Amino acid sequence: MASIELSGVTKRFGKVTALDNISLEIKDKEFFVLFGPAGAGKTTILNIIAGIHMPESGVVKINGEIVNQVEPQNRDVAMVFENYALYPHLKVYDNIASPLRSPRHKKDEAYIKEAVERVAALLKIDQFLDRLPVQLSNGQRQRVALGRALVRYPNVYLMDEPLAHLDAKLRNVMRGELKMIQSNFNTTAIYVTHDFMEAMSLSDRIAVINEGSIVQVGASDEIYYLPCNEFVAQLMGDPEINLLDCEIDVSGNVYSAKFTEIDAVIELPHDADVYATLKDYGAVKLRMGLRPQNIEFSFDPADGFIQGQVYSFETIGNKSVLTVTVGGKKEVRLIAPNGLPVKLDQNIYIKPDLMQSLYFHADSSEFICRYNEAAIRALAAEKAGEE
Amino acid sequence: MSTSKKRLGSIVRHGLLGIWAIFALFPLIWMLIMTFKSEADVMTTTFIFTPTLDNYRQVLLQSDYLRFFTDSVITSVGAVLISVLLGVPAAYALARYKFKYKEGLAFQILSFRFAPELLVVLPLFMIYQRMGLHDTYLGLIWVYQLISMPLIIWVVRGYFEDISVEIEHAAQVDGYNWWQVFMKTLVPLIKPGLVSSALLAFIFVWNSFTFPLMLSGFNVSPVTVAAMRFLASHTVQYGQMAVAATISALPAVVFALLIQKHLVRGLSFGAVKG
Repeated sequence: MASIELSGVTKRFGKVTALDNISLEIKDKEFFVLFGPAGAGKTTILNIIAGIHMPESGVVKINGEIVNQVEPQNRDVAMVFENYALYPHLKVYDNIASPLRSPRHKKDEAYIKEAVERVAALLKIDQFLDRLPVQLSNGQRQRVALGRALVRYPNVYLMDEPLAHLDAKLRNVMRGELKMIQSNFNTTAIYVTHDFMEAMSLSDRIAVINEGSIVQVGASDEIYYLPCNEFVAQLMGDPEINLLDCEIDVSGNVYSAKFTEIDAVIELPHDADVYATLKDYGAVKLRMGLRPQNIEFSFDPADGFIQGQVYSFETIGNKSVLTVTVGGKKEVRLIAPNGLPVKLDQNIYIKPDLMQSLYFHADSSEFICRYNEAAIRALAAEKAGEE
Repeated sequence: MSTSKKRLGSIVRHGLLGIWAIFALFPLIWMLIMTFKSEADVMTTTFIFTPTLDNYRQVLLQSDYLRFFTDSVITSVGAVLISVLLGVPAAYALARYKFKYKEGLAFQILSFRFAPELLVVLPLFMIYQRMGLHDTYLGLIWVYQLISMPLIIWVVRGYFEDISVEIEHAAQVDGYNWWQVFMKTLVPLIKPGLVSSALLAFIFVWNSFTFPLMLSGFNVSPVTVAAMRFLASHTVQYGQMAVAATISALPAVVFALLIQKHLVRGLSFGAVKG
């Protein structure tokens, strides 16, 4: 149980700046996800909280106390390492028991036996307790690494991609388990992942990290529906969001978007807030973000539908991704049901659901506005209040 | 057909191995036989002679041989102990830390093994005499570091490099301080390399001849040098020399047999995977 605070933390490795002036506040008992592409600095943040790395500048606080000078073993944190970092010479049982045998967290053997068996059962590794790490698959090793952390009740769990090497089915199960464990243990958890589904489903809050800086912090809905820039919008969501260059035409009271790449014009639905923001924004060039599930399609021409050609059709589990070329070059991804009878290059007509569209600055790619923004913000705030 | 073919192959294989064994071991067997020969028989007989234990009696009871043997044990064990105590931390530093001229330093350590011992032993002799290190245990143990330390540092460094640094971090987070991490996590992982390189270093030091020849005298005298005493000015006591050589070869042979299995693995395999 602890709150964690980083303020102005900078970490350099030689000439490379891994973290650039990062400030974060993680509340007590929160499940906080650090989300970002590879090499963003997520793991470095964990290492700094654990005390493995010393920041060049900035302050790290656990429970309000500055811990910059506190050694890792005295910070009372438990960490799951991405490469497992199991002790190769110790059996699974002894690996998991290791924290409880350390001078810092010493427990008697009876307690240790019970605790190890409890987490082993939870992680379904109870039949491997007598094996050495080399005799395990990667998924099993990862669970042992998780077990070594979960066997204790620390201030905070630091988890570095703890589910990355599990097979899909087990990952889904473990995702649920982890969420439950964390709420049952009443502990703070900081969780690093590059899988947006994991980030969305586990988190109380998400921090999106890129190139050593925090891009956006917020609840999962907030990040998904109100991404602060195109980078976040592209990172959250699979298949990726469509970004279409457009110009805003104003004629009288009606705003319409002229898509420069695909040679089509669509009238924007009337919304006082959106119109006002776009008007304030002034410049006409921007980019419209459309999630693949927010585009309708039809095989017959209809009013408001734009013509395109089928480029590819791939089934991903319970849905399919249909890629359509519009205007000869621009590819638009949309979600379609499985088993749709399509031929490549056949004509298809698509219609975006503009009520779900997002608008970004064409040059800076910053978020400008979206429809129903106020309602979504209110909902996110309400959800955050529940936690 | 196939069984007889197999049997033929097996016979050929064992035959060849037998020839090799005789070729390799014959000098040793010859020496062993010599230890049981009287002075008269050494030059005149090969396999048929009257065995005697006179040589053993002479060497073990009526000469200072046991004292020389003890000198060898003290200097060799001392040299290897110091090499381990200083070499393991040095290997750790070379494996883990980044500092200027690191590779240069590592190469410098290795290069101690390049120079012919005869080349350095003369100046060393002068220095040792001035410093009062000549003919002392400390002096020999010190100069033996040239032989044992580079070997241990280079082998153990490779082992440290194979241990992912996260394992150390994990142990720290588990609640162990640095010293406990080192003893409980790192030492077990480098053990195969450490044991095999230390034993190999022991054998090299034990067999060392040039350094003790020049740098030791009547006070401290390892067996390799002491065996020469049996070359008297006008006679050569072949039988007694054979005894001295046989006994001085024993520790190396015993150790090599004991660790044979680990020696090759320890020196050629990396420490850990996964």
